[in-house]
Amino acid sequence: MQKSKGYRSSFRKYMGRYWQLYAMMLVPFCFLLVFKYGPMLGNILAFRRFKPLTGPYGVSWAEPPLRYFKQFLGQKQFWTAFRNTLIISIENLAVNFPIPVIFAILLNEVRSVHVRRFIQTVSYMPRFISTVVVISILSELLSPSTGLLNRLLSTVFGIPRIYYLNEPVYFRLLYILTDMWQFTGWTAIVYLAAITAISTELFEAARIDGASRFQQIIYITIPSIMPTIMTMLILSVGNLLVLGYEKVLLMQTPTNMAVSDIIDTYVYRLSLGATSPQYSLAAAIGLFNGLIGLILVSGANFLAKKITGSSIY
Amino acid sequence: MKRSENKNKIRERKSILSFITIPVMVVVTLVCIIPFLYIIAMSFSSPAAIINNRVSLWPVNFNFDAYRSVFSYPNFFRAYGYTLIFTIGGTLISLAMMVLFAYPLSKEQLKGRKFIMKMVVFSMFFSGGLIPNYLLVSNLHLTGSIWAILLPFSINQFCLIILINFFKSIPAEIEEAAIIDGLGYFGILTRIVLPLSGPALATVGLYTAVFFWNSWFYPLIYLNSSQYPVMLLLRNIVNGSTLAVETGGSGAQFALSISVKSAVIIVSSLPLIVLYPFLQKYFVKGMTVGAVKE
Repeated sequence: MQKSKGYRSSFRKYMGRYWQLYAMMLVPFCFLLVFKYGPMLGNILAFRRFKPLTGPYGVSWAEPPLRYFKQFLGQKQFWTAFRNTLIISIENLAVNFPIPVIFAILLNEVRSVHVRRFIQTVSYMPRFISTVVVISILSELLSPSTGLLNRLLSTVFGIPRIYYLNEPVYFRLLYILTDMWQFTGWTAIVYLAAITAISTELFEAARIDGASRFQQIIYITIPSIMPTIMTMLILSVGNLLVLGYEKVLLMQTPTNMAVSDIIDTYVYRLSLGATSPQYSLAAAIGLFNGLIGLILVSGANFLAKKITGSSIY
Repeated sequence: MKRSENKNKIRERKSILSFITIPVMVVVTLVCIIPFLYIIAMSFSSPAAIINNRVSLWPVNFNFDAYRSVFSYPNFFRAYGYTLIFTIGGTLISLAMMVLFAYPLSKEQLKGRKFIMKMVVFSMFFSGGLIPNYLLVSNLHLTGSIWAILLPFSINQFCLIILINFFKSIPAEIEEAAIIDGLGYFGILTRIVLPLSGPALATVGLYTAVFFWNSWFYPLIYLNSSQYPVMLLLRNIVNGSTLAVETGGSGAQFALSISVKSAVIIVSSLPLIVLYPFLQKYFVKGMTVGAVKE
């Protein structure tokens, strides 16, 4: 009895001191619940029948409950989208993971601070441009009649003019190159920060021993930033399936659909982009995709804990 | 004697590496700049010069026709107005929400903090997909209203963690003194913490502003076409002119549409391109701070 009284009064004392902090986060916390956890709960639609105007959680359980999962797992289009997602992701990782590392190392070799800063400023800029603008610029550069690239290729090398954005063969290449253009400089920031953190004494000692700059890169720079590289690699693997679907949507044309349809755009086409939307089916695919993502991230985090001794999150 | 030999060797090797470094840096710089120069040149050139392939990186027959037709485009200023509303309104709401959330979460002694942090981090990795989000917003009757853009994205977990880490770095002594003086936490936040938080607020505010300025997908699915921001307008113009290529519209019209498209690209990115060099340092700060784990 007395104990609970003491507990109560200490609770009162605690709240007397901290109530303002709780009051402060009341509204943002509700936002988190409504706008992040609300949709998370909404995933339940993957197991339920949807009826328009009856709320986001469906009207009744699907019969059988995994009906929509069975439905999309049996669809050829789903597997095409799944395969495309995987191929684009892996190719993109293979190309665009090492390039910022190389760029950062080379940029660090630029001795003049002013030149380095200029290059940095210029190379970050594409990161802040909207995907719409990026793809608009791309479509102008590649235009068969007036685009700079086609003019160059046809006048200098005599290569016939092609509308590259329409050709399925070039879709992945263009996806990867635009990613490179937008994010190389930006991602390099992390590696540059890691390189500047290396003790200069190491380089001085190597120089006295007669190591060339190239040897210094191989034996000092790269081993020193290896933990950063590993962390970034694990992070990228965790986010493997998170593709820029906005960019893919903008780059899709009827002719490149066979290679450009990814899970996210397939979901969009089944639901919001369709004349008769299949919300439950789309939600089931979305949930499937989200769960794979969650597994990848947790796996990556687990690996990070094992390898580097500290988890990323 | 031996020393000077060594020195020569070093200089020689250094120049071999710069054989790679200098060309790479030149190419990177050109690749980043040329697309913009090309678009600028296109936007100021005459349709005849464009169709005859005479425009490369410098305007030919310099004129403002494209810009004139952009500004006389029926919905251009309306779209620009919506972009401004989304950017300014969205950024202010997000900043308010995230500051009010991050400050309590930066207090280690607060009970329940760890649990809420876990909720925040978990929501970064697992979320409702497109459909649950869409159905939620439409069931809250937000579709077709600007609130569909302003509210759902107001808490960005990445930015929230930047702010939390920043607030944690403020010395506790300052706040303790204020508490003894009888100031509540609201008072501490507005009078002491926020005035110290300029750089962190700038970083987070800029990320948020860029997000809202550039967004087009959510306006597309949540809003009526009369509420489209400028990025969506651009997308529709681009879609329209790619159609013109396929159906083979008249040459001059097609060329004009290219310079108009270029002008829209320039006008819609101008604020970012102009302000960017001055704000760059804040973005970079966020990138390196954000890497710190919670």
